[in-house]
Amino acid sequence: MSVVTKIKDNKPEPVAYSEAALRNNAAVVEYCRTSMAALSGSTAGVLGLTGLYGFAFYVIAVVVLWLMFMMKAGSNWHKYYVSRQSLLTNGFLGALFTYVLFWTFIYGMVHVY
Amino acid sequence: MGTSFDKILVLVGFISLFHSAYSAAQHRSYLRITSQEFTTLPLDIVVQAVVSLFTVMWGVLNIAGNLREIPAANELNTIRWETQRNLPSFYIFNHRGKALAFNYVPVAGKADLENLE
Repeated sequence: MSVVTKIKDNKPEPVAYSEAALRNNAAVVEYCRTSMAALSGSTAGVLGLTGLYGFAFYVIAVVVLWLMFMMKAGSNWHKYYVSRQSLLTNGFLGALFTYVLFWTFIYGMVHVY
Repeated sequence: MGTSFDKILVLVGFISLFHSAYSAAQHRSYLRITSQEFTTLPLDIVVQAVVSLFTVMWGVLNIAGNLREIPAANELNTIRWETQRNLPSFYIFNHRGKALAFNYVPVAGKADLENLE
């Protein structure tokens, strides 16, 4: 019994994160994410994507932005982000609304009128 | 913050994106005049739009600001002893010991100022 509890106590040491640095990084990520949504929405509108192709393009743009974040951080991404998965998925739907707004607007400007 | 290279990258990407949008609109109006059906855009417009999108994204990523290291100890480790010791409340500008110098000239005190008039 005591052996089991000892194994449970073998958790990794808790890491203290700097609050200001976390907030700064979150602000940078949010800025890039909003810009990416607006720009990729405009591009989707220019390309005249409709239906599911447009949403597939959004997913591609999100993944490319994520790869760019990984490239910027380099091999030691642990120093800058708490987790890679949350960097990929955070704010996915919120940016999607911005994307659809720009997509429909530019589509109308280029292809309809 | 981003360098001027990144700003130029963003500017060029924006212009290129706008140009591809204009080209797409031109292609669309050409099809309308010649009464052809729209299928897809020409490949060069597609390539230009996508490449300029990634260019602007990369530029914005670098302009947005530097990422800071999140472990709490990392920024504290860079503080030096000179910075820690720098306490403005304990600055000394004047010391009575200088009155012991042989060429010391006493500054006019408040009482002398009143006698001037």
